[in-house]
Parts: sequence; structure tokens; C-alpha cells
Amino acid sequence: MSPALLEIEHLTKSFGGIQAVRDCTFAIPEGQVAGLIGPNGAGKSTVVDLVSGFGQPDSGSIRFAGEPIIGKRPDIISRLGLIRTFQTPREWRNLTVMDNVMLARRRFADESLWRSLTQARRIRKAEQPDRAAARAILDRFQLAGLRNDLAVTLSGGQKRLLEFARIAAAEPRLIILDEPMGGVNPVLGVRIGEAVRQFAADGCTVIVVEHNLPFIERTCDQVVVMDLGQVIAQGPFTGLRDNPRVVDAYLGMDQSHG
Amino acid sequence: MYWVSVFTEAGIFAILALGLDVIWGWAGDFDLMFYGYLALGSYMTFVLTIGKPPPSVEYIIGWHLPVVLSMVLAIAAVVALAAIIGAIALRNLREIYFAVTTLGAVSALYLLVEIYTPLFDGYNGVYGLINPGQTALNLTYNGYRIGLLVVVFVLLFLAYLLIQRLSRSPFGRMLRSVREDERAAAAYGRPVFSAKYRAYLFGAALAGLTGCLFAVFISAFNPSAWTPQELLVIYAAILVGGRGNPRGVILGVFVVYIGFIELTRFLPSPASRPDFGPAMRQVLIGLMIILMLRFRPQGLFPERPGRDRGEQPAEPRGPGPLALSASAARDAAPDTEPDGEGSAG
Repeated sequence: MSPALLEIEHLTKSFGGIQAVRDCTFAIPEGQVAGLIGPNGAGKSTVVDLVSGFGQPDSGSIRFAGEPIIGKRPDIISRLGLIRTFQTPREWRNLTVMDNVMLARRRFADESLWRSLTQARRIRKAEQPDRAAARAILDRFQLAGLRNDLAVTLSGGQKRLLEFARIAAAEPRLIILDEPMGGVNPVLGVRIGEAVRQFAADGCTVIVVEHNLPFIERTCDQVVVMDLGQVIAQGPFTGLRDNPRVVDAYLGMDQSHG
Repeated sequence: MYWVSVFTEAGIFAILALGLDVIWGWAGDFDLMFYGYLALGSYMTFVLTIGKPPPSVEYIIGWHLPVVLSMVLAIAAVVALAAIIGAIALRNLREIYFAVTTLGAVSALYLLVEIYTPLFDGYNGVYGLINPGQTALNLTYNGYRIGLLVVVFVLLFLAYLLIQRLSRSPFGRMLRSVREDERAAAAYGRPVFSAKYRAYLFGAALAGLTGCLFAVFISAFNPSAWTPQELLVIYAAILVGGRGNPRGVILGVFVVYIGFIELTRFLPSPASRPDFGPAMRQVLIGLMIILMLRFRPQGLFPERPGRDRGEQPAEPRGPGPLALSASAARDAAPDTEPDGEGSAG
């Protein structure tokens, strides 16, 4: 098995008197698509926030590509190559679709105030390859014709696609998708599953937080199951059906309604 | 000469509005401290140029520096103050909390200047910077005032070029992404505080510059020359012109400023109520803000995103499975609430 890209050990986080995450330990190997599942309130989204720097754990350790990342700001962690999404698409509403993707291309050096003032022409020339790449990505997600429209005008499904276009433009090492199937119709769902597999084929590691178990089964190499803030099982999806704790916490309930 | 004076003042306010638009229009921070930066820039220009205070008058510094050099120092002082206020207010506070904090800051500054006389001689204020350089340039009074108008408009044009360039730059784009969605901007690697902070200092520097110009323009400055409420007119101008659009902002200032001064000049002010006209002006400006927010929140000239003119990478395909799914998703997706960007004020 390839070395772990993300290693989480003994992670704990409380909000007031509630322990959202307690002694949570798991690791995701590089190049895999991993599902993170569990009933509502299991602590999945809290783990995502802690890993991406949007929250600080009370104790425990998180290593990304071998480097401890606890205490780093979200933007610093993002620059290390970790891109996360949120439960609802968070496009930059009053910017164009093209600008959304260009921002995800992340040409940080040109964003200094001084360089933006003094080297406008050089910057415009230097970002041409990125513009071409952004157009190609938008074409891949069938948004090329809308690239000069404001993101706020897109439909719900198109906003999901824009989210994936931004991720593709960012070329991250680790992608964490927080409920990418929320409010998505079945046809678009298939397309999103393909996009996730494509990220993996391109060498990305992907973690998917999702309640849609058929999607998890189709898309993921392995699954981490959480309940009450802890990891209760980890492994290939097929093995989990026979695990009584998992069935008890999650699968049994879900199978009863579909 | 009346019109020269009106246009000079409008030009100065246009530069001020461009600076405020970087902070509010691009970075999305509703700053109420902003007029304080103009005031500090103005005060500093005075105390650096008019020399030692005469008996019974007190203010700090009291140097006799050349005007241009004192302007540089005054702007530096303004940026230093903005660095302190911004570091406190921008770190964790947003929207109404940020606005209230900056309102507190400007109120504190106003009271301090008014009550603590050793600073800028309290309510009497500072004066004596009368047409600096007029004799050296060998100009008549009118010639000097017209020259000042030209200087202000040249500076306004330069500020416009600068802002326009910045607006289309990666810096401007990054700042707008922070305005649109801070968490997403951070998730894509943008240092939110630092971005807002840099915008804040840049805007404050422009306010400092307008303070210097204002000092030369009115040749005396005291608390009655600036009240924090004056900022409302600048916000109204940005709203009318188009928040985030430099050309619109400049136009908005001229429309609001000159339009309203001229409008209210012809309002009847009965002798028994000489304050009727000016009061009516405030009422009309408030009314205009409400009407703009209700009917055209994006302003006369809305923010124009840069268009990508590169050729389409491929021919648009026929309605494939995805085209179907995208339109189906439009029906299936939960309604997203418009959160009324323009109503942030």
C-alpha cells in the first residue's frame, strides 16, 4: 500500500459540552478515493473542518504529506495542496465563471498589490497559458459557453460543475468533498462520480463525505465509517455490510428506506 | 470662480470615493472611519507647514516644511493610523460589527481632536495655509485657484488610471473573491485578513492624499469642517455611480455632489429658518440612498467583470446527456437565496 497522504491520530474536538470528535484515528493512502460516512452528527464535517484549518482541534495530530498541519491557517493548508468544498457550492457569485476558475488556478505571486500595479502587461501575458487551461477545463464541464456569465446566474447543477471545474483548475494533491451529491439529480450524479474517478486517475487523493451509499460504493476504493465522533470501521465497502457495528450505526437504518 | 471651487471640491471627493470604493466596493468592508483619515491627513498637512503656534494657540509639531514633503508625511501618518485601526477591526470582525467598530474609532478621534486642545487646538482648529506657493509661482489669486483645480483633476486622473489598472489585475480579482465568499477564498489559498488589510491601507492612503488637497483647498481646518456624517454623501455617490466600477464612482460623485449642491441652492430658505436648505439636502441624500437601494442597487454603472475574449475551445455540442442534466438540475436544485449584495450598506 502506498504511504499515507493524510494521517489523523487521536483527534479530539469539543463544542461546549459536546464531544463532536473523540480520539479519531485514520489514514488515507495517496491516490485513493476514500468515502467518509456515518450518521448525522457523527463528526464527519468537524473532521473536515479540522483537517482544512477551519477549526482547531483540542488535541491529536494531523499530518498532510508527512507535515504536521495543526495550527496552520486554511489558506496555508490550501497552498500545501489541499482543496476542500463545502456542503453548498460556494462560488464567487458576482464574478464571472471564467474568473472563478482563474482564481482557482492560483497564480499567487501576481496577486501582490505592487506587482499588480507595476507589471500589468507582463502579468496579462504570463497568464495566457492559464487562461487556455481554464477554458479547456470549463469545456470539460460544459461551462465554456457560460464563462463570461456571472456565477450567480448558474443553475444549481451548473454550480456543482463549477465547483469541480475550480478543483480541476487548482490541481491539488488532496481533495475533500463535503456532500457533493446534495441536491443533485441522478444524471448529474453519474457525471460527478466520473469526475471524482478522473481526479483519482490524474493522481489526486480524494475524500468524499456523503450520505448517498450507492454513490460511495460506485466511487470509493475504501470507506471510513464514523459514529459518535469515532472511527468504527475502515476498509472496502463490501466488507462493511457484515460489520455489526456499522450495520447498527448506519447501514441497517439506511437500507430500510432504500 | 464659484464653479472652479465646486469642481475642485468635487474632484477631491472623487479621489476620496475611489479610495473608499477599494475598501467597500472591492473588499466589501463598510468602513465608517474613512472620513477620519481625510481629517487626519488635512490636520497633519497644516501642522507640518504652518510653523510654530502663535501665543494662546496650541497644536503639535509646528514645522515649516514644503507642502509636497508634508503631504508625504501626512499620508504616512494616515496609513499608520489605518494600520492600527485595520489590525483591530479587520482581524475577526465583519459587516455590521466591523462598521460599528470603525464608527467607534471615528467618534473617538473626533472627540479627541475636539476636546484635547494640545493636539490640533480643539474646536478652533488649525489655519494659515493660504495658497502655498502662490508668490513663488507668481500667480494671481484666481490663477492659483484654477491651477489648483488642474492639479486636482490631474491627480484624479492618475488615481483613476491606478485604480482601473488595479481593478482588472489579479489583486483586484483576488480581493473581490474575498468579498464574495471569504471561506471559499481561504479554501483556495487566499489570506483573507492580509488581503483586506492591504486594501484598507491603500484606500486610507488615498484618503490621506485627499486630506492634503483639502488642506490646501480650504486653508483652515477644524471640527466643523468634518463630521463623520459627511461620509454618507460619499457612500451615496458610490451607490449612485456603481459600487466597484471606478468610472461609475467618479461620475457618482459629480452627480451627487454637484447635482445636490445645485439642487439645494434653489430651495427656498425662509429667513426664519436659514437651516432649511442644508437640512433638506441631508433629507434628499438619505432619500436617494433608499431609492437607489430599492430600485437599482448596482448603481448607474454596475461593476463590469472582465470578459474573456479568447476563442471558444470547442464548438458547442448538441444537447448531450449533461446539457439535459444541467437543466434538470436547475429544477431539482434547492432554491438558493439571493443574499442581496447591494444591500450590504
